[in-house]
Amino acid sequence: MIELHGVSKTVSSGGRPLTILHPIDLRIPDGQSLAIVGPSGSGKSTLLGLMAGLDAPTSGRIVIDGIEITSLGEDALARLRGAKIGFVFQFFHLIASLTAYENVLVPMELAGVRHPGPRAKTLLDEVGLADRGHHYPSQLSGGEQQRVALARALANDPRLLLADEPTGNLDSQNGQHVIELLFDVNRRRATTLVLVTHDRDLAAMADAQVRLRDGHVVERREAVATAPAPV
Amino acid sequence: MTFVLRMVGREARASWRRLLFFFLCVAVGVGAIVALRSVIQSVRGALVAEARTLTAADVVVSTNRPWDPQARARIDQRLREAGAVGVAETIETATMARPADERKAVARTVELQGVEAGYPYYGRVELEGGVPYTHDLLKGQGALVRPELLAQLDLRVGDGIVLGDLVFTIRGVVLSEPGRRLGFFSFGPRVLVDFADMARTGLLQFGSRARYALLVKVPDARIDPLVQALRDDFRQQFINAHSYRGAEDRMNDDLARAENYLSLVGFIIVILGGIGVWSVTRVFVRQKLRAIAVMKCLGASTAQVLAVYLAQVVALAALGSLLGLGVAVLALAALPAGLLSGFGAVTPGLTWSASLQGVAVGVLVSLLFSLVPLLEIRHARPLLLLRDEAARQSSVTQPDGRWWRRIDWVQVAAALLVSVALVGVASWQAASWRAGALVCAAFVAVALVLHLVGALLVRVVAPLRMTGWFPLRHAVISVSRPGNQTRTILLAVGLGAFFIIGVRSLQANLLHAFRIDLRRDGPDLFLVDIQPDQEAGVRQFLARAHPSFPAKLLPVLRARVTGVRGRTLNLDGFDEVRGQGSLAREYVVTYRDHLEANERLVAGAFWDSPSPTPEVSIEKGISQRFGIGVGDTMRFDVLGRAVEARVASVRQVEWADARSGGFMFVFRPGVFDAAPKTFIAAARGPDSPADRARLQRDLVAAFPNVSAIDVREVARTVEGVAGNVTLAVSIVGLIALFAGVLILMGSVAMTKFQRLHESAVFKTLGASTRTLTAMLAIEYGALGSLAGTVGAVTSLGLSWGLCRYVLDVPWSPTPGVAAAGLVMTALLVGVIGVAASVDVLRRRPLAILRAE
Repeated sequence: MIELHGVSKTVSSGGRPLTILHPIDLRIPDGQSLAIVGPSGSGKSTLLGLMAGLDAPTSGRIVIDGIEITSLGEDALARLRGAKIGFVFQFFHLIASLTAYENVLVPMELAGVRHPGPRAKTLLDEVGLADRGHHYPSQLSGGEQQRVALARALANDPRLLLADEPTGNLDSQNGQHVIELLFDVNRRRATTLVLVTHDRDLAAMADAQVRLRDGHVVERREAVATAPAPV
Repeated sequence: MTFVLRMVGREARASWRRLLFFFLCVAVGVGAIVALRSVIQSVRGALVAEARTLTAADVVVSTNRPWDPQARARIDQRLREAGAVGVAETIETATMARPADERKAVARTVELQGVEAGYPYYGRVELEGGVPYTHDLLKGQGALVRPELLAQLDLRVGDGIVLGDLVFTIRGVVLSEPGRRLGFFSFGPRVLVDFADMARTGLLQFGSRARYALLVKVPDARIDPLVQALRDDFRQQFINAHSYRGAEDRMNDDLARAENYLSLVGFIIVILGGIGVWSVTRVFVRQKLRAIAVMKCLGASTAQVLAVYLAQVVALAALGSLLGLGVAVLALAALPAGLLSGFGAVTPGLTWSASLQGVAVGVLVSLLFSLVPLLEIRHARPLLLLRDEAARQSSVTQPDGRWWRRIDWVQVAAALLVSVALVGVASWQAASWRAGALVCAAFVAVALVLHLVGALLVRVVAPLRMTGWFPLRHAVISVSRPGNQTRTILLAVGLGAFFIIGVRSLQANLLHAFRIDLRRDGPDLFLVDIQPDQEAGVRQFLARAHPSFPAKLLPVLRARVTGVRGRTLNLDGFDEVRGQGSLAREYVVTYRDHLEANERLVAGAFWDSPSPTPEVSIEKGISQRFGIGVGDTMRFDVLGRAVEARVASVRQVEWADARSGGFMFVFRPGVFDAAPKTFIAAARGPDSPADRARLQRDLVAAFPNVSAIDVREVARTVEGVAGNVTLAVSIVGLIALFAGVLILMGSVAMTKFQRLHESAVFKTLGASTRTLTAMLAIEYGALGSLAGTVGAVTSLGLSWGLCRYVLDVPWSPTPGVAAAGLVMTALLVGVIGVAASVDVLRRRPLAILRAE
């Protein structure tokens, strides 16, 4: 369960404060899939980044599985991400100096998993890259890189999978493949999935949608609890 | 921990090419420091191993004046108390020797030593033909001479040789003797005679330059107490006592100076390596920010990531240091064989202590220099992966951020810690807090200047953004863009230039101190120890010998400074003067009423008439080095007489022009007119060697106690010694230059990684290779010129400080070195900047853009 209570974000731009996200309340039950949609600059990625603890909100509280992450330090956040959150980026962000297999190993090694090798291989197999493990990111196509990124995101079997425009850099065929993988995970493992997208079709596949414009929530659809969560 | 180690392995596998340069920087620095230190330690080791044979005794008590009976009685008492097993007296003086056979018209300056029966207590006098040395060989006017003297005077064993008023018989040929080392300066070949005969030669007249010594053999445990007791007894007198352990005492000055110089240069090379390390680490961390953000996003803590990169640095530094040991071995093998011959049988090899120190310094300096750039890792926030700008804003500035909130205090604290640690390492390496602090203070000062100059440059060139010429406009934009390489290059190159030009300038000054100029029109023959009653005779003799060159006879006295009362320096008694190094030595002084052609007044006024009130004019170097100025009072001991003189003026002496000789202290006439003194004469001898030999022979025949110093001969000897020193200094300078240039090249080349993306975008947008090359040349050329200027100007300060405060040699500015350094730096940075980017210019942009 993810809960956002009055979460906002203001940054300084040219010496002036600029509010990217106005106070927002949101509750995402376990196992649900939510699509955050909206035009460029509406605050989608910022919202996702805040949920992952990649940035701190200017005001408000974010609670994941009962843990208030807004009060956590950098390292505690890193541990939380390692244990509970998987992240898929638009630009894949694989570590260039590591092979595909090693990229998948890293989160497990960080979490102190013993013998992570077999699981890494299984995950690569699941995303259809069993035979590409020894390749470096630069030797893989965009679609393949994104699938490695997905395998990496799933390495520690996270309760929450966040994806920032996961198909934004892929052709439709590769994009479709990644989408199927994402929703498959959501269904099979009951992993909560939050994705930011421009793609209406993709958004429509989610259980719920939130539409943002200029940092405000302008629309909520289906099965999303819009009321503030009971504290 | 396993994660950290695994990541270190993986990262090293992927980035070793980029870090290769890091590795090389460390290797070159460590190689230099280990090689230099090993040489010093080998020389030291060889000297210490034969220390007892160098002094030929356990304890040597010596003075430059005939023994004062009272002092002598005191010494004898001390020797008895210490249970001295043996005492042998010796006297050394430079004098003229000529064949007893009048038909041989030659004479030579020799270093005559009269020795008593016990000599030498340690070491051996080695004679030709394996003849064992005994004192009996000397008894009854026997002499042992060096083979070169036999050749020069055309003599054989058994022939007669005239020394002063006596004729000696040559009884053997000395191949080696204790305490005499090849390659060191001497006035002439050694002649050994009996101490008892020496006194009868008539050579030891008033004011003669001679060294009187007592060689003492004493039980080991009594050595140090005896030396201490004698030093306490004669604290205010000009009597020295040292043990064989302090045999270094005599050569310590030379060796310590060499060691300070070599260690400093070694350390400077390591600092240059450190700058390279800093530059590499900085670029490396920037390139890795995204990977670091990914790791943090996947659950790595800052400490874990920091550990991954710190461990890489340590591993690389350790490996680089080991390679450095290999470099040192090669360097030592390549050392010219003759370079160390003056120190006896020295075979320089890696010493354990030098190797350990080198590796320790390599790892330490790498850690210190990479720490600050590595701390950047803390700022790599995972948000960077979502959007670059947002991450920077939220991590660096707060909406209400005041300037002090924007400062990364951890990094500031780390920088301070690194500075303190560097002072520590520098002091350790140079074996002197003063040298270490000086080098580090200079380092920090130059870094600050460069920082300011960088900021100034950005402001000054800002208007050029409006220019219509694309390459210039973009070069300016590139220079002023935030997060660019302007500061890195300025700092790395500026500091590099500062140290390299500084070492070159230091080298020029050291070599200048060893340079001898022989002018065609100047005197080339100096006669010393002329007694007052011989003045007229010598004058006539010289006038006959060379009518067209009127000889100049100067009265000289030998004096020691025993006190100073001044505004900046106050020394009460000889004991305190001793603490000032070279100020305590014996000076030859004169008096006259005019400045010589090679002198120029710097401060005060020079007298033109005699006065009964003592006044002295001091040389500029003395004034600067010891902070003595016009109006101060100096106390001298002039042959036992205390004279207190006011400093009336400061003179600059052009030492290279020795026509009129050079004196550190010139007194006002009127005080010493009636004092006992000797004269020296500056004359010009005939050009042909045969005529010169004849002249010297005639001179000795007429005035047996007068010694002739043939400047042409001396110059040859000095050139031999100076040649070795020059070679050594030049080799060290060359090592520094090579290492420095290599490191600078790398530092500049590293900055190309920051340009890859930008160049690719420019190419995509239609920029030609030519335009991009022009842009690069302008930018790197400007940065190089600026860094070179700052480096060149500040390096003069470095060489001045080191000459004055550390090496104790006179300093003069070296504008040629500075100018050449500036031009070289600008060219080097410009050329390397462009050359390193050749592949950037050549590569297809798509590959780079995809990789990004």
